Amino acid sequence: MGSIRRFLSRYVVPNLPWYGLGFVMLFATNWVIVRIPAIIGEALTILEQQGPNALVGTRSLALELVFLGGLVIVVRSLSRILFFNPGRQVEYRVGVDVFGHLLSLQRPFYMRRKVGELVSIASNDTTSVRLLVGFAALQVCNVAVAIPLHLYQMAVTDLTLTLWCLIPVIFGAIYMQAIVRAFFGMVRESMQMLAGVSDRILEIYSGIGTVRSHAAEAAAFERFDAKNREYLDLQLRIARVRAFSMPVLGFSGLVGTGIVLWVGSLRVVEDGMPVGNLATFTALLMSLVGNLTALAWVLAAVSRGVVSWGRIDTLLETPPELPDERSRLDLDSPPKIELRNLTFHYPDGDEPALCDIDITVNPGKTLGIFGKTGSGKTTLVDVLTRVHTPPESSVFIDGVDTRDVPLSDFRDAMAVVPQAPFLFSTTLRENVRLEGANPYKAARDPQERKGADGDERLHEVLDAACLWDDVEQLPKGLETVVGERGVMLSGGQRQRAALARALYRSKPLLLLDDILSAVDQGTEARMVGAIRQLRGGVGGLAPTTIIVSHRTSVLEHADEIVVLEGGRIVERGTHDELVAAGGEYAQTHEHQGGEGA
Amino acid sequence: MSDGKSLPSAGNTIALLRRFWTFAATHKRWLFLGLSMIPLVVAMSTLRPLMVKYAVDELIPASDIIGLRLLSLGFMVAIMAEFLCQAAQVYALQRAGHTTISDVRRKVFDHVIHLPNSFFDKNALGSLLTRTTSDVEALSETLSFGVFMIISDVVMILSILAAMLWLSPWLTLITLTVAPVLFILVRYVGAVLRRLQLEVRKAQAAQTGFLAEQLAGITVVQLFGREKAAHDEYQRLGQRYLSATKTANWFDALLYAVMDGISAFSVALLIYFAAPSVLTEGGAITLGLLFAFVDYLQRIFIPVKEFSGKLATIQRAAASLERIYGLLDEPTEPIVEDGEPNPLDGWSGGLSVRDLEFAYSEGGPDVLRGLSFDVKPGEVIAVVGRTGSGKSSLGRVLTQFYTGYRGSIQMGEPGSDALELRDVKPRHVRKHLLMVQQDVFLFQDSVAYNICLGESDISGDPQRMMNALELVQARRLIDERGGLEFEVGERGGNLSQGETQLLAFARVAAREPTLLILDEATASVDSITEQKVQQAIEKLLEQRTVLVIAHRLSTVRRADKIMVLRKGEIAEMGSHDELMAKNGLYAELYTMGFEEEEPEQADGAEGTAPDFASP
Repeated sequence: MGSIRRFLSRYVVPNLPWYGLGFVMLFATNWVIVRIPAIIGEALTILEQQGPNALVGTRSLALELVFLGGLVIVVRSLSRILFFNPGRQVEYRVGVDVFGHLLSLQRPFYMRRKVGELVSIASNDTTSVRLLVGFAALQVCNVAVAIPLHLYQMAVTDLTLTLWCLIPVIFGAIYMQAIVRAFFGMVRESMQMLAGVSDRILEIYSGIGTVRSHAAEAAAFERFDAKNREYLDLQLRIARVRAFSMPVLGFSGLVGTGIVLWVGSLRVVEDGMPVGNLATFTALLMSLVGNLTALAWVLAAVSRGVVSWGRIDTLLETPPELPDERSRLDLDSPPKIELRNLTFHYPDGDEPALCDIDITVNPGKTLGIFGKTGSGKTTLVDVLTRVHTPPESSVFIDGVDTRDVPLSDFRDAMAVVPQAPFLFSTTLRENVRLEGANPYKAARDPQERKGADGDERLHEVLDAACLWDDVEQLPKGLETVVGERGVMLSGGQRQRAALARALYRSKPLLLLDDILSAVDQGTEARMVGAIRQLRGGVGGLAPTTIIVSHRTSVLEHADEIVVLEGGRIVERGTHDELVAAGGEYAQTHEHQGGEGA
Repeated sequence: MSDGKSLPSAGNTIALLRRFWTFAATHKRWLFLGLSMIPLVVAMSTLRPLMVKYAVDELIPASDIIGLRLLSLGFMVAIMAEFLCQAAQVYALQRAGHTTISDVRRKVFDHVIHLPNSFFDKNALGSLLTRTTSDVEALSETLSFGVFMIISDVVMILSILAAMLWLSPWLTLITLTVAPVLFILVRYVGAVLRRLQLEVRKAQAAQTGFLAEQLAGITVVQLFGREKAAHDEYQRLGQRYLSATKTANWFDALLYAVMDGISAFSVALLIYFAAPSVLTEGGAITLGLLFAFVDYLQRIFIPVKEFSGKLATIQRAAASLERIYGLLDEPTEPIVEDGEPNPLDGWSGGLSVRDLEFAYSEGGPDVLRGLSFDVKPGEVIAVVGRTGSGKSSLGRVLTQFYTGYRGSIQMGEPGSDALELRDVKPRHVRKHLLMVQQDVFLFQDSVAYNICLGESDISGDPQRMMNALELVQARRLIDERGGLEFEVGERGGNLSQGETQLLAFARVAAREPTLLILDEATASVDSITEQKVQQAIEKLLEQRTVLVIAHRLSTVRRADKIMVLRKGEIAEMGSHDELMAKNGLYAELYTMGFEEEEPEQADGAEGTAPDFASP
């Protein structure tokens, strides 16, 4: 219940004045809606009784109808707007809050959750919540007003007739409740099933090479079609419900009008009930049934909205799990990095991923980390960059435990090139500069940043990253949109773009995680040279640098190289020392082309 | 979002729908049943007010109780009939719609899996998936609701109009004077609303796209301290969506509310103008007629509101259909009909290749340049060379993954009954000539499924699968895992890389191809598994004709003949000892341990792929 309270206080309470006003409009709407059939009935009765002489009596009624017609347009419009717009406002706020919170959550969280699932919470679940506070709130309030008013108008018109004609409608309404619930269950199932069909299709399309080389197309088709048929069967079941069960409530309303005719006409003949009441009743009954149908749908929206909010709330209540901030960090020169007996466990791992790591990198020096896949290289980088929070008293920057400084300070001090380069779907310029990295903005105003201050610097770093020649080949140069929705760059080009992004920043600490894996040897040599030169040349001071690689040629010039295996340091020294030592490093060096590659 | 979401023209729409009829025609019985219900439903629903009129005008004034009873019963029957007919109509049309859609999806899928490899190189999987799923679903919406609802609405309006005109042309004209106002309003508001909804969808897509991308790149966002910038941007996108939806709400609310108002206006007109001429007994305008009019006027305007929305659905469906047909018009590989004899049955496995040249694209650089060699039945030939030397391309040409080679590839003993590769259908070739690729693809299913790939002649024979596993030394491993029924997980996630390799070999062993092309994987596996993989490869090479694209010394040593490729040409050919003695390219490669290929090169046009491939 705490979660519901949070929801109400955070999102609903601020909108209460709007809802209050909306409620007044709803009342007015429903008052008009039940008045209209009553007036029609009155007019018909007057016409019946007075014939051609009725003009005087009916003219005022006709004018009243016109007035009410105009009024209902205004009040109904307002009632909808007053409920729906706050709903949209809530949707917006929830979405922004969810995204803001997601930005503060760290790697351990992202290891547990899939991106697709989070996107679904931020988009689909916020939509359900919006329907809850907009559509559902409107309908619930509407029904709360409409049903009493309808019943009241019917009862004052003719109580006996009211009781009679409600009988089928009550049964219809009860049946509808059950059906709508079942229907939503089926619709949910069908969405899952459609996702299943999609997964199958994607799986087979991805494995088309295998299917083809084994000439198994027919079997692959059968694999897909099994799911496809299952989906069709469910669709047909849904169609049956839609055709035969859903209209039952409306049908019960029609049966009600039949009863009005049966009972009502007798009452006109025998008890002298005004004949216009028949028309009043028919119209009121149909309007009532419409409201009941809406109620049935709305209950489903409520339950979905509540479940969705539950998911959102769980997400919002997930703590970022960051250690307390105890001091600030403001570097104006390359820092000294120390690892003291660093041992690191993954949240769900028994074995330590890193064990007893002791390294000191002096300001402006370069540390090389060498190791095979799975040796712990990337984990070490993740801990150094606080992608994973290191244990206490194990990683120090200029003598300060990195845990103790605000994450933003810490990250501001470094430029990192992660192993898997990620490019946003925006221009290459934006990808390197990384201001907002918004594809939509960049696509709209390409001129905005053109020729801006940073272009010279951009050219310099792209050159250093050996990407400038490639940029010139691109259709629109720096303005070319890359990433998923743009031009696909090769793996090597992506790595080089990510490198340019880091170099652009010229931070006092530089970390390169296996960034040359997809570049060929020639380019690699040029890049290593360029990185070295850039470090020496720009801004006077070379950053403290940590380079991870499985290629010895990349590490050759490092001041110290540590060799990792199974999360431990097994060898350390300079390139020459390690080659002379004849261990794992030396063997790899020889295998990779030996002397002076 | 840029892949041609513009809407097709009206003429085009009709042409598309006509072509679509070929799918729907299969289910026309349901379609006709559904359509034939429409006039019945409409008739019943138009009849009801007329019954009330009769009661009010004739039976009540005459105090005819029996007549009223009978009429009420008739009224109930009419309601019942209307309900049943309507249910039948909805069900039949939905059934026709859904089965047709299902057929379309089958057709699209079947077409896609028979498209040539070059097509897959050029088209992203994502867009193919969209063609097969969302585009087909968009049709479903139209078929099950849009088109037929419009027909049924139009018939209903016409029928009510006819009834009103028949009762009183004069009153009909008077009361419907509000209709043009309504029509103009709906058109105007509807047009504005559609524009707004387009903006809403765009804004939403932008927001969701941004969100998904930022989360995918969350590490970069956080490492570079872009959280604030990202948050602001998301807020800005959200504002855009918010203001679009709020504006849309105003128009939507107005459109919704106008309906209530309009029928009140029309009834006001009715009462005002009818009053002077009402003659309760036997006049031109009777009280019962007014009853009927009140009923009709409350119903005739309802469908108008949703009209434009439904038309938009049809247009969207036409756009989807256009994309689907664009795909279906792509030529497939030659299809093998059921029961068509395979001309390669009885093939010995011998090949005779002469002057083979090949380029991935017309006018592109040749990746194979004048290869000539023979493969004798039972021979093991190792192909070695550096990345881009044409090794993998050779395999792809021989299995007809890519067509358009020049020169000749004769299958069988040279001379009399040898077949030229290009004259044999790809599926026939692949039944006998099997290529195992470097990157093994596993389906999320059991071990058994991944061996037989759904082919019934293998899946029906567990012994054959066990023997295959046995041959590649994987039986123990798989048994420890839980046997043939063990689930390999998504993309084989429950298996190690080595086990995945072995499973791919078992696939081959179960099929006993006449000629095997084995592209050895270079991916690193631990040394124990490496040993197993090596043993398995050796087993596979026994008593079989094999062309092996080799990366392992052990494999090369085992070959009868080694072919060394350089830039698409045969640089050297001979046995291991001969080539070592030559001290040429082979000797160089050998001492370097056959430097691995970049795994990224495993797919696509090796050596020719431009650095920037358009999406």
